[in-house]
Amino acid sequence: MKSKIVIFVAIVMLIAIMGYMAWDLFLSAPPEAKNPWEYKLSDLKRVDSSIPNYIEMKPFKPEMEEVHGVDVDMSGTIYVVGKNRVEIFSRDGNLKNSFPISGIGTCITMRNQLIYVGILDHIELFNISGDRIKRWKRTAPGSVITSIAVNGNDVFLADAGNKMVYRYTAEGKLLNRIGQKDTVQNIPGFVIPSPYFDLAIGKDRTLWVVNPGRHSFEHYTMEGHLLNSWGSASNSTADFCGCCNPTNFTLLNDGSFVTSEKGIERIKIYSNEGVYRELVATPEMFAEGVKGLDLAVDPQGRILVLDPAKNQVRVFVRK
Amino acid sequence: MPTRRVFLQNLIRGGILAGLGLLTGSLVFRSRKGGTCRLNISCNVCSKNGSCTLVPAFETRQFVWQLDPSKCIQCGRCATECVRTPSAVKCVHVYAMCGYCDLCGGYFKPDTKTLNTGAENQLCPTSAIKRSFIEDPFFEYTIDENLCIGCGKCVKGCGAFGNGSLQLQIRHHLCDNCNECAIARKCPAGAFSRIPATSPYLLRGFGKQPLSGDKPGEPESF
Repeated sequence: MKSKIVIFVAIVMLIAIMGYMAWDLFLSAPPEAKNPWEYKLSDLKRVDSSIPNYIEMKPFKPEMEEVHGVDVDMSGTIYVVGKNRVEIFSRDGNLKNSFPISGIGTCITMRNQLIYVGILDHIELFNISGDRIKRWKRTAPGSVITSIAVNGNDVFLADAGNKMVYRYTAEGKLLNRIGQKDTVQNIPGFVIPSPYFDLAIGKDRTLWVVNPGRHSFEHYTMEGHLLNSWGSASNSTADFCGCCNPTNFTLLNDGSFVTSEKGIERIKIYSNEGVYRELVATPEMFAEGVKGLDLAVDPQGRILVLDPAKNQVRVFVRK
Repeated sequence: MPTRRVFLQNLIRGGILAGLGLLTGSLVFRSRKGGTCRLNISCNVCSKNGSCTLVPAFETRQFVWQLDPSKCIQCGRCATECVRTPSAVKCVHVYAMCGYCDLCGGYFKPDTKTLNTGAENQLCPTSAIKRSFIEDPFFEYTIDENLCIGCGKCVKGCGAFGNGSLQLQIRHHLCDNCNECAIARKCPAGAFSRIPATSPYLLRGFGKQPLSGDKPGEPESF
């Protein structure tokens, strides 16, 4: 009896071993080949997730194919532009109004009851109801308008195609060009390797322009005299990464800079003197490879991030 | 004594042998004269003075293998799976897309402190990318195909931080154009396909614009 049990167990074990060998030979997936030249970008993007002092609130989704620009007015109303369309949202993200535009809207600014929309190589002005008031002439051959800022009667356009900032009157008359390379005035010239070129009006009514190829912010008078600049390049959180960053920025109510980057997708805040202060959103919060995270700050200090990968307006508030 | 039957058998054998000899001789003669190669393989074309040149495989075929840079995930298999050593897949620089950046994500390692050409700063494992100063702050990056192994490390860096002007492509003057491409078989992204030999390159951002430089030593141009 005992020997029968031993034989039975031995046969079962033999069958199990044969089964395993057959599976190993014919059915198991081959081990994943390791890439000896692997370039792990994830190592560069690793950040302690407890660091940010901001939390993300419920986002809202514009109903358009592509989103490219966002702005907020003094009442907290949010304006989003994208492919063939402008949408206007309440502070809570409820759609208030929308109207069509004739092309891909690259940037948007709302000032003095007028909506300024950059449509690739020119700008168009709309009223709140969406009626077109004016269409300005094309800025220059090869223009790609990526940002608009309004200061009183002055309208500033960032042209990534011609690597130039243009100052216009509110009526559309060109006053002067800003940022041309000038060794006498010590103006280095804008370096724009990819179509991300942003500007904003500072608290002291002067002009801040990002020079992405030099990883710096440049501070200009309205006439185009360079006052100062700041910024440095590296992959560390305190600097700007990659070939050309930051791609977008906006200013907080105290004059601090909120910046967004590509390559290592992150949102950061710098003091008004250019000293790194804190992280708002970490790379793992964004889809890999997302570029052109446009930014806006509402009167309550909420940071709005337009995410082209998710087609959402994402809202970040201080903890 | 051979019979009449044996004599006839030997006659037939001799006739067949002579026919085979004539056929072989005529084929050899045709190839020496430089006839049109109608086979789906690369073949020697010889001129009347006796010199022969090996025609690149892609010139004798209607379709060639190529990889689509928009599908490529830079897994490194192009460098390890090709039947040729080093691989026929090389990094190609689409200059029209390049930002000529000082801090090039395809050239420098991510932790580089000073932007110079020191080997310790270079991302490329074989130093196949040459960096040359143009004017402040622009630098040009050129690929030395003799050193490039097609690992795609620079392609990943350029795509993540730059404009994606560095792209992997099968260089047809190097490719054997195997019936079943060994890399295509292992490519996890399914980026390989056969495309018409008349437009043998698939460069992202530039559609089917041809890439010259298929003769060894000839510089790339668009």
